Amino acid sequence: MRVGYLCTFTPKELIDAAGFTPVRILADSTPISLASAHIQSYACIQARGSLEKALRKIDVDAVVFTRSCDTLMRLADIWEIATKMKVYSFEFPTKIDSTSKNFLISEIAELAKKLEEWGGKITFDSLKESIELYKLLEVELAKIFDEKPDYELLFKVQQMKVKDALNELKSREQKKSKGGPKILVTGSVCPFLDVMKLFEDVGFSVKDDLCTGTRFFTFKYPEMELRSVEDCFRYLAEKYVSKAECPTKHYEKDRRFERVLELAKDCDGVVFLLLKFCDPHFFDYPQLKQKLEEIGKKVLLLELEFPVIEQLRTRIEAFYEVIMC
Amino acid sequence: MIVAGIDVGSLTAKCVLFEEKVIAYSIAKVTPDLENTAKAVYSDAVKKAGVSAEYIVATGYGRNKVSFANLKVTEITCHAFGAKSIFPSCRTVIDIGGQDSKVIAVENGVKNFVMNDKCAAGTGRFLEVMASALNVDVSKLGELDEKADKPVNISSTCTVFAESEVVSYIAQGEKVENIVAGLHNAIASRIAAMAKRIDLKPDVVLTGGVAKNKGVKRALEEILQIKILVPEEPQIVGAIGAAIVGKNYASRGRKSERF
Ligand SMILES: Nc1ncnc2c1ncn2[C@@H]1O[C@H](COP(=O)(O)OP(=O)(O)OP(=O)(O)O)[C@@H](O)[C@H]1O
Ligand SMILES: [Mg+2]
Repeated sequence: MRVGYLCTFTPKELIDAAGFTPVRILADSTPISLASAHIQSYACIQARGSLEKALRKIDVDAVVFTRSCDTLMRLADIWEIATKMKVYSFEFPTKIDSTSKNFLISEIAELAKKLEEWGGKITFDSLKESIELYKLLEVELAKIFDEKPDYELLFKVQQMKVKDALNELKSREQKKSKGGPKILVTGSVCPFLDVMKLFEDVGFSVKDDLCTGTRFFTFKYPEMELRSVEDCFRYLAEKYVSKAECPTKHYEKDRRFERVLELAKDCDGVVFLLLKFCDPHFFDYPQLKQKLEEIGKKVLLLELEFPVIEQLRTRIEAFYEVIMC
Repeated sequence: MIVAGIDVGSLTAKCVLFEEKVIAYSIAKVTPDLENTAKAVYSDAVKKAGVSAEYIVATGYGRNKVSFANLKVTEITCHAFGAKSIFPSCRTVIDIGGQDSKVIAVENGVKNFVMNDKCAAGTGRFLEVMASALNVDVSKLGELDEKADKPVNISSTCTVFAESEVVSYIAQGEKVENIVAGLHNAIASRIAAMAKRIDLKPDVVLTGGVAKNKGVKRALEEILQIKILVPEEPQIVGAIGAAIVGKNYASRGRKSERF
């Protein structure tokens, strides 16, 4: 069985351990038609596009919706009504503090139960193995992205079992960065590979803070020995609260801003690549932009719906000229 | 050195032959064959000038399709350099073309810029659609604006919906002059919203084909509460800028096709 998810705070380890294939659901360039009957046009293209795919044809039997933005939460309800897929809402805590870990552990246990209800089987051995393999995959992806981001690869490995993903990594050749001024691309999801390619075409060397980029594989790994399924649940809870920060969560201190500012330090400019109508990111934008400008960074805002490549190219090239001038 | 700046925009192609100042220029409509459009305006300008160019810079939407150009630069940089060469006091450029409008903060080059998103509201295309709904020529919009006594309110920012509003005002017997002035106010408020996202500093220079429309200048001055300068031929400012960028670039002995 293939189990879909949209939010990267979904513990894929559980799905994999249950014997299912975790599949990241992303919008593509399919025009929105059927979805319009269920969702308003002022929802982001990731929400509308994913639903459109689900209504047309998608090779997924069940979907785990993980609490993040309001749109995704309502999308879970729509999905349940409008499709024949099984739907489960995984309640990831919104406020991340000392109390959230225990709550998350119990939610992880609930999700495990649900996956078994769906016919999966999670054992200590299978879970421990999935945990170890995902860590391997994530560490490898981080190394690759450090050298040169490969979004095509990243999209691909999110459509398969972690074992196959590791094999996929083995069989590839490391691409070398062409250099050029460095930019940080920050934002939510960018399901369009041709947009990611534009930055490189224009001559930038890219670093990202995207949910479809490094945020997929950036964690701090807890130091603990795993002796039982319960240990594994605790491990996953710790791992996922340490995941690269997302604006749909409330952190103690300004953890997200601190991360973005830190990532921007060695960059010549910062591009906000935001999906139109993405509330969590747009609410942060004015303040984060100001903080970046205060540390001397040039900032460009790109709003995406269905991308018009030449219009984007002009903006990105002009930004390149601003930086090179 | 004689340099050509060719600005292949979404609606019109402009070519300027430039030495210390503009020697000759030409403006033509864009056809889907961008390379040939560029060749045609270039040869027309060459014919007028009686000399050809030693170095060619392409800008505008079609820049990457001009294979005979030595250098390709975006219209944002070109409008900034062009406006500054005409008005050295220029700190901000507002370029309103056929498909795009941009607000550019100018320092030594471009400091910052904002562009409209893909919708046509706030562009020349918007005014063309409205002018045809009103059955007047775009070049007459400025005169009509002057005769308005009570501009109507156009509340839709979308071109399609704004056209329905115009149709509804016509049906109510509203004076064409007042509808036109209302449309100019609508464009100006779109531009003002963009301008708020960058630090708008005087002097402000208005460029692009739409700058020929005095009504747009009037509306922008009212909403921004600032005096606006318009070059004698605002439509070729991007092409002039392209030539100037090319001059600087070639004199530094650089050879790459990109900035
Ligand atoms: N005399 C005039 N009065 C009013 N408007 C005019 C006049 N001449 C041209 N325009 C308007 O100028 C617009 C074209 O401007 P311009 O040539 O700067 O656009 P472009 O460079 O092709 O477009 P873009 O920069 O968006 O790619 C047209 O929409 C046209 O209606
Ligand atoms: Mg133009």
